Formats: sequence, C-alpha cells, structure tokens
Amino acid sequence: MRAESRRRAASALNRLGLGARHGELEQLGDATSWALAQSRRPAADLGVFDGLPDSLDYLRKEARLMQQRRALKRDDAGQPVPSASVRSGKPVNSLARLYARMFGDDLRHEASARWQLAARTGTPFAERLVRFWSNHFAVSVDKGPARLYAAPMEREAIRPHLDGRFYDMLLAVEQHPAMLRYLDQAQSVGPDSPLAERVDRRLARRADGQPARKLGLNENLAREIMELHTLGVGAHYTQADVTQFARALTGWSLPFPRELEQGDVQRAFKFRPFAHEPGSVTVLGKVYDQRGEDQARAILADFAVHPATAQHLATELATHCVSDVPPSGLVRHMAQAYLDSGGMLPALYAAMLEHPATWAPDARKFRTPQDLLYAGMRAGGIDPGDKPQPWEGFSMRLGQPTFMPRSPAGYTDIASDWIAPDALWKRVQVSEALAERVPRSGLDPCALAADVLGPQLGAGTDLALRRAEAPEQAVALLLASPEFQWRV
Amino acid sequence: MTTRREFLRLMGYSAAAAATLTLWPGITRAATGSDTRFLVLMLRGGLDGLHALPPYGDPGYAQLRGPLALSPAGSTAEAAAALKLDGTFALHPALTFAQQLYQRGQLLPIPAAAPPYWGRSHFEAQDCVENGTATPDGAQTGWLNRAIAALPGAEGLAVSTVMPLMMRGAVPVATWTPPLPVRVNPILLQRLEPLYAEDPRLAPAFADALASQGGGAVMPDTMAASMPGAMPLAMDGKTMRGKAKAMGSGGRLPQLMQAAGTFMAKAEGPRIGFVEDYGWDTHANQAAILMRKLKELDNALSSFAQAAQPVWARTTLVVVTEFGRTARINGTNGTDHGTGSVMFVAGGAVAGGRVGGQWPGMRPGQLYQDRDIHATTDFRAVFKGLLAGHMGVSESTLATRVFPGSAALQPQGGLLRVARAA
Repeated sequence: MRAESRRRAASALNRLGLGARHGELEQLGDATSWALAQSRRPAADLGVFDGLPDSLDYLRKEARLMQQRRALKRDDAGQPVPSASVRSGKPVNSLARLYARMFGDDLRHEASARWQLAARTGTPFAERLVRFWSNHFAVSVDKGPARLYAAPMEREAIRPHLDGRFYDMLLAVEQHPAMLRYLDQAQSVGPDSPLAERVDRRLARRADGQPARKLGLNENLAREIMELHTLGVGAHYTQADVTQFARALTGWSLPFPRELEQGDVQRAFKFRPFAHEPGSVTVLGKVYDQRGEDQARAILADFAVHPATAQHLATELATHCVSDVPPSGLVRHMAQAYLDSGGMLPALYAAMLEHPATWAPDARKFRTPQDLLYAGMRAGGIDPGDKPQPWEGFSMRLGQPTFMPRSPAGYTDIASDWIAPDALWKRVQVSEALAERVPRSGLDPCALAADVLGPQLGAGTDLALRRAEAPEQAVALLLASPEFQWRV
Repeated sequence: MTTRREFLRLMGYSAAAAATLTLWPGITRAATGSDTRFLVLMLRGGLDGLHALPPYGDPGYAQLRGPLALSPAGSTAEAAAALKLDGTFALHPALTFAQQLYQRGQLLPIPAAAPPYWGRSHFEAQDCVENGTATPDGAQTGWLNRAIAALPGAEGLAVSTVMPLMMRGAVPVATWTPPLPVRVNPILLQRLEPLYAEDPRLAPAFADALASQGGGAVMPDTMAASMPGAMPLAMDGKTMRGKAKAMGSGGRLPQLMQAAGTFMAKAEGPRIGFVEDYGWDTHANQAAILMRKLKELDNALSSFAQAAQPVWARTTLVVVTEFGRTARINGTNGTDHGTGSVMFVAGGAVAGGRVGGQWPGMRPGQLYQDRDIHATTDFRAVFKGLLAGHMGVSESTLATRVFPGSAALQPQGGLLRVARAA
C-alpha cells in the first residue's frame, strides 16, 4: 500500500504536475485529492504578473507607437526624413528601435513571469492545465500583430476560466486580440454588410480603372474554431457550415487606434455592427437568427456543449495527461461527465482523476521540451529569475519556443513527434547547461534522484549517479537520464 | 556501400570524417551509376500556387485575383513585374534564381497539383502528403522512409530537430539541425549510453545521436554563421535587429537547405533528404508576406544548388505544399484554404524549361466547387515518376509499398532528362 501510494504521488507530481521538487513526494498525501483540489480553483499566479499591462494597455501603447512612427517619418516642416542616418549612413530602422524601447521590458517580464511560475508554483496540476488550454487555443508570436497578446491571452482568457464553464473560456479566447489577429478575424467583413456596401459604392464611383480592393469574408478563425477549438476535425461539418459560421463572426474586431485615442474604450474587443453580415445563418442544420454579436455567441454556446466537442476535449486532455493512446473507456467517461455537467471543466478534470486508467502503472508521457525545462528547474531548485533569454533559447533549440507553434494546432505532445536523434542530443546538451545552474549548497544528487523520480529511478541510473565524479555531473546525468525524459 | 556508422559520423562532420572523405571519394556508388540524390522540400501552411506561378494568360485570372494579380506587363498597383515563362504562366518576381533554372532547363513547375485528399484542413492534408496514401490516417509511416527502405544502402536525412511524418518508419533516418554551441562531456555520454540502451523506446534514437554527434561534432563553417537565435517573446532591441538582419539576408530556410546540400553532396552522403518550412498560410496581406517568403524560397533553392554542386547533375528536388488557396481573394487581401497548388521539380537531372501538368483554367465553371483550382495532377504520380526514373525504385514496389493502393496511378513520365531502368 505504501509503495502504491508513493507511485501515485510520483505520477501526480511528474505526469499531472510540472515535475517533482525536492521533498514534495513524501508530503503529498492522497494523489487524487491533491490534483482535484487544484482543479477547482482559478490558477494561482503568485503575483508574477503584477505590474504588467493588460491587452487594452498594449493596444493603447501600440497606437502611440504608430503615432510616434508617423511623426518620425516627417521633420518639423512636414517633409519626409531620409531613411538613412546622416552621420552613420546606416538605416535608421526606427520602428524596430521604437518597438524595442516601448515593449522590450514588458516582453521580458511576460516571458520571465511564465518561467518563474513554472518553477515556483505549488499548484502544478492547475499550471499544467493552464498550459494545456493555452496550447489548445494556440496562437503564434510569429505573426507580428499577435505577438504582444499571446502571453496576455493566457492570463486574461485562460487562467480565470480554468475552473469554470468551457464556453466562458472559449468566448474569452475568441474575443481576445491575440486570437482575433492571429487568425485574421479582426478584418473579416460581411460581403453584404453596410460597410462593404459603402466601400463598394465608393469604388464604383472611381473611374481610374484600378482593381477594387473589396472588403469581405475571411474564414480562417471560423474553420479553426470548428476544427481545433471545439468539434474537432473528425466531426461532421461541411465547407458550407464553415462559411456560414464565418458570416456570423463578421464584426468581431478590435478598437481602432483612433477610438483608443479618444479614450472611451473599455475593452480590448469591439463588435462592429457595420461590418456584420446581416441575416440568419444555418450551421450544423440549425438556424441562428440572432442579431449582431449574439449570433456567433449562440453558435459558440452550442459548439461548446456538442457531443463532438466533448469527445474532442476529452481525447485531447486524456492524451496530454495519461497516454499517447488513452483508453477509450477513460475518454468516454470524461466526455459523458462533461456533457452531463453542461460543459463544466471541473467535471471533465474530475472524471479523469477519478478513473483508474489515469493511475495505471503503464500510463506515461514523453516530456516535451518545455516540460523537460520545467521539470529540470523544479528538480534542481533553479529559479529562472528575471532574465528569460537562456530559457527561451533552450526551448527554441529543443524545438518548442514559447508561443511559437508552427500552426494553430499548437504543439504536439505525442512521443514519436519528439523522439529523434538530434532532439535527444540537444537534451543532453541542455541538461549540462541546466546542471551548471543548480545551487550547490547541500546538493546530494543521489538523494535528489530518488526524491524526484520516486519508484521510477532505475538501478542503472542510480549506480551511475553514485559513480559520478562531481555533483554537477551527477545532476547533468539525472536530467539527461532516460527516466527523466518521461512523465510516468 | 557505406555503413550506417560511417554515414552518421559523416553527419557529425568531424575533422576525421572530412579527411577520410578526401582520401576515399565515393567510388562504389558512382561506379554502379546509382549515385543519384532526391530531396523533398515541404512548405507547410498552403502555398498559393496562383501567386508563385501566376497564370497571367488565363482570362479568369486577373478578374478573380484583383489587386493580388501579377503579370509580366508590370501588373497592377505597385507590384513588380512577374517573370514570364510562356504565354500562360510567369514566376513571382522574387523567384529570380528559379527563373535561371528554368532557362537552363532545370526547373519544371507543375500547376494544379494536389494530394489525393481534397479537404481543406492543414493537418489532414499534410498527413496525407506525408503518409503517401489517399487518406489522412491511411498510414502511420512516411512514404519517403518507405522509399529509402526500397533502396539498399541508401541513407536518409531530415533537416529538423524531430522526425517529420514523411520520414518516419522502419528505416532509421538521421535528423540534424545546427547544434548548440556547447561541447558535451564525453564521460557523461559514456555513462548515459548503457542507460539509454535499457529504454527500448529511446535507445535507437540515442544511439544515432551518439554516433552522429558524439565524435566532437562541429558545424561546417559555412553554416556556423547566424542561425537566427530569435526569441520573439523576450526580444530586446539588439536581438530584434539581429533577427531583422537575419531575415533580410534570407531567413532560416536558405541555411537549412545549404546544410542539406552540403551533406548530400558528400560522396557517401544521404541520397534522400527532407527539409521543411513554415509560414505559408496567407489569409491576409498576402502580397507582402509572399514577397518575403518566396524570396526566402528562391535563396534556399540557390544555396542548395550551390552546396550540392558536385552532385547537382544527379539530383532532383521537389517542392510541395499541402494544398493551394481559393481562386478568389478574400476580404482581407489574402486567400483561404483551397485545393490545387503548384509543385516545383528542379535539379540537374530534370527535364525542365517548360510548365508541366494540365492547366484546368479558372474561368466560370472551371473551378472546383466554384472556389478552387481543380487539381489535375496527383502528387503521388510525380513522386512515383521521380522515384522510379531517378532513384530506380521498381514500379511494383512503388505501387504496393511506397504508395500503397496506387497501382492505378501511373508514375508520371517525362520528368527527367535520362530515366534509369528500374
């Protein structure tokens, strides 16, 4: 019994949490209750985000930046400034410099806050769930206009709704500047909306023969909501459903810089009735005749509690927390509990935690690069401090830079996607670099290994640790060991 | 034939390996006439074929494309003139090296090409392109890996940190990206080796890593320069400018392609290569994004051709993307997911200098679902044509093992200057 509860505690810390810290395994108590308690509260942030701008602040700063840039381009007499500096002959590149001056500190703060939280949190299961949802609703800072908003989206749209209704999280995400810009929604205009018609009339009056830049639909967000955020790619919907939903979403947008300057803006989301496609739409056979913003809200509300969504979310969460191919009984149980609760996330989590498959001895996941870094920090007692550069650098070289997935599907968490010679080699290199950062005082690598890996520590690794010639080499060995690459 | 270990040491490009290469040019393969090379460059996100290879001569094109339309006549708005190929097609203005290849008869663009999957999901379409079947879940391994399996003694290289689906499968394939500038303690490696041997899931990959990198891996000097170490989330002014500079000099793809070319040019180098790139999903402001990305692609083709110069005459490469984009522009000066796109076949062995495939047209009634370019070429026919004629894989193996269930689909002929007998 003692061995069994120890095994479960190790799974709770390593597979469900972000990696065991020194001493946690012995104090954990009942693993299921430990995780359940964390899933019923909003995720604690330990104050690491204090002092950061919110999305509306960022929008305002961005508007100011554009103003300054325009001013820079003209001299006092309103003449354009030549693009190369007179003194050095080098390009002024003023936007990059202005951008760095205005946002550099904030971006460093955003990045380091996330690493600090991963290293310091006492509710690591909740923190894993935050990052799971953040990746489920992936945005990428590769897309310039979305860059400032990726980290705020996690804070503003994911964290507060972690213990609530999925619909609330879904709505907060789809109305967030990060998502509206990443998936090009902000500019999507109904082809028969008042705005499109006005532009059409204006263009018709132009007689210069220039091709018209017509305003119209962009179906990117609509498609990815259905395929990735809710129903899932296997669900039965058609191109027509996507287009109809895209029509309903028109008008979901952001405040313009001019509106921000006028100062009457309260939210980083703005519904633009003029850009909204009038009339009812039919999605998945149901007619939605709501007006304005409510139309797409109503569709999202139905998507949120659709059986295909339940199945999709349950599969994804079980795959992330239990096994690359989760038992179908577990997925069914989770999906049913979710539907029975009317789409409550704590019901989904609880169904997973109370199911025996979640605690089966053969349940295991391969650590993604970010998981490996979190676990390394936690095991080694490394605090990332307020300089995020090394951590962002490690995760980039390991193939998982923060908020930069290659597609809206987010990062994969399947072992075969991450196990490759080059990837393992870079893990060894990173383990050495991490080991150099582990505080030396009182360091006993052999005890540490037993403490963080628990029953997973193999005899071979244990022996190799005992034979290591110096503590830092032993720590590198621990972090690079095959056992440490898995969340068991 | 080269042994696996030799090959992997070569991948590590240690000084010793370099010396060996000079003393022992790859006599065996060259002597048997089977020393050809084949590379796939996959552009993820859905390249707009109508923008890379504008069919300016098609009467429907300018009308549907509006401000995005390109033409050799200097086209609309402020856009530069497209590079004319024939009476119907031109290349995007950024593809200047590609145009040179075309003029040398070494580039064959094939418009209206698609995988057998005609849906509009990135992820399903990519899976289908990579697994080489007619459906997204038709196979768990990649057709390129299965092709290597059909080529005795051939080695594969994926220029990526993790294994792409197209290269996954029974044959071990090397992965490579520029290493971290950290030298690993050899004693640590010695200790880890037996530990990894005990983990059946990790053992093969770790053994390959050791073999390729363990001998004191160093980057070829040409590649050591500036892999952009970008950290967008925490970028200060300096790194931001650094990144801008790296972008200005052509981005990441040319460097990866140069690496692929360098490895594949070696006498005992990998015969099959894979490189991938991202960022082709142009829902908005397409003209500016593709100006940058196509320039990057053009630089990539040029740096590969340069690095692979010794084997260029025996090389074919094919550029593919998972799908094309809507024939009409959308409301945000971009395009949404569509069907047929373009594939480019290039290399010294290619019978190029002409536009391949059949052009379905883009006038009313010619579009697929009144929306997309109607695909007339199945990717697999081109892959099969190249693997048969250039690499010497037998047609029966192609039809049953490499592209299972594709017996009815003939390998496309006429892609190569000189086709080899299987």
